[in-house]
Amino acid sequence: MARSLWATRAASYLRINVPCRGFATGSDLPICGTRVGVTFHGMYLLYVNCENNFLSIHAVLKDLKYADSHEWVRVEGESATVGITDHAQDHLGEVVYVELPEEGSKVEQGASFGAVESVKATSDVNSPVSGKVVEVNKKLSDSPGLVNSSPYEDGWIIKVELEDDSDLPCLMDPERYTKFCEKEDASR
Amino acid sequence: MRGPRSIEIWKMGAVNYLEALKLQEKLASDRKTHKIKDTSLSLQHPPTFTLGKRRTVHNVLVSEAELKAMGAELHYTERGGDATFHGPHQAILYPIISLRDIGIGARKYVENLESTMIELASLYGVKARAGETGETGVWVGRRKIGAIGVRISSGVTSHGLAFNIDPDLNYFKHIVPCGIPDKEVTSLQKEVGLGQKLPSEQVIHEQLVSCFTKIFGYTDITWRDKTSVSSDGHE
Repeated sequence: MARSLWATRAASYLRINVPCRGFATGSDLPICGTRVGVTFHGMYLLYVNCENNFLSIHAVLKDLKYADSHEWVRVEGESATVGITDHAQDHLGEVVYVELPEEGSKVEQGASFGAVESVKATSDVNSPVSGKVVEVNKKLSDSPGLVNSSPYEDGWIIKVELEDDSDLPCLMDPERYTKFCEKEDASR
Repeated sequence: MRGPRSIEIWKMGAVNYLEALKLQEKLASDRKTHKIKDTSLSLQHPPTFTLGKRRTVHNVLVSEAELKAMGAELHYTERGGDATFHGPHQAILYPIISLRDIGIGARKYVENLESTMIELASLYGVKARAGETGETGVWVGRRKIGAIGVRISSGVTSHGLAFNIDPDLNYFKHIVPCGIPDKEVTSLQKEVGLGQKLPSEQVIHEQLVSCFTKIFGYTDITWRDKTSVSSDGHE
């Protein structure tokens, strides 16, 4: 399965060996059961989850906003770019298909605009903002795995012309999203 | 520290595919709005071929007219996965559960569904295993005994798994099952040996549910006999 590049870079920063699905070895292991947030390069907040001897590291970018359905949005003026988070792609497994909306169609905050398929499961992707789809990431048709390997960059899904930026305050900032992920994982 | 997990199991007998689909849509919608708790349908279908969201029609090897002539239906669905067949003597479980409430994603959910069927097979001494990457499902050697196809919308699941107790395996010849050519389909009866008598299917359906509730950590389980339920959920 494609490992997130963010997690791999994070692991080398923390000097933790993370082969395969995040089984950790090495001298800087956090204590099992703890969750640690670390700043790395000033741009990423790392959410490190150690559970049952498995270390999983998810990156949360500091300049993005987050929905509780694990989508991110980058707002630049009246435009927004949307994708799914590192946490989401790891929980999905290897993405084999991305259903994209039509360019020109409308999206509504909180409503589904497409889906991803992984491990024989299709999961709806919801829009964190309302507006009009101006561009979809056509590379995902041939390379759906970009969602796993580069969830915040090459794996972006749609670009939206924002309808109303008062949508944004109800989205989570990076610190709140990180705590939200911790809480969700703790309910396992 | 989490509290007890509750689920309601609907024992439904034989249900037409579309009826079951409409019921799942209603239940999933009710689950999303917290009108109901986690629910799972335990049933079987009359002969039915289905395709997933990717509409891989090329994996259905006969025309729709030919399928009708053999007494089967064909349905296009929004679930993940490829072409498959459902029919009598195949145990189906459609869990309508909130993954957000139990903090897991698609990958872990599907792994748990695989474990459910592996555990059931092991009750009969059959050593099954999960598929390799890209071959989700449950296998005995190179033979597939259980299939999975799931839909997750706002964190709530629908569709689910199908475990072959003793379906007519000839139906599978009309598709490329799950889009994987050159691999056989098998059943519990075939794996224990055709001379061995299995318990009644009701027992096996109940065992499948018990394996599911155990693996997912449900402690408060309510069984409801819904053999006369229509698609709007009323008896």
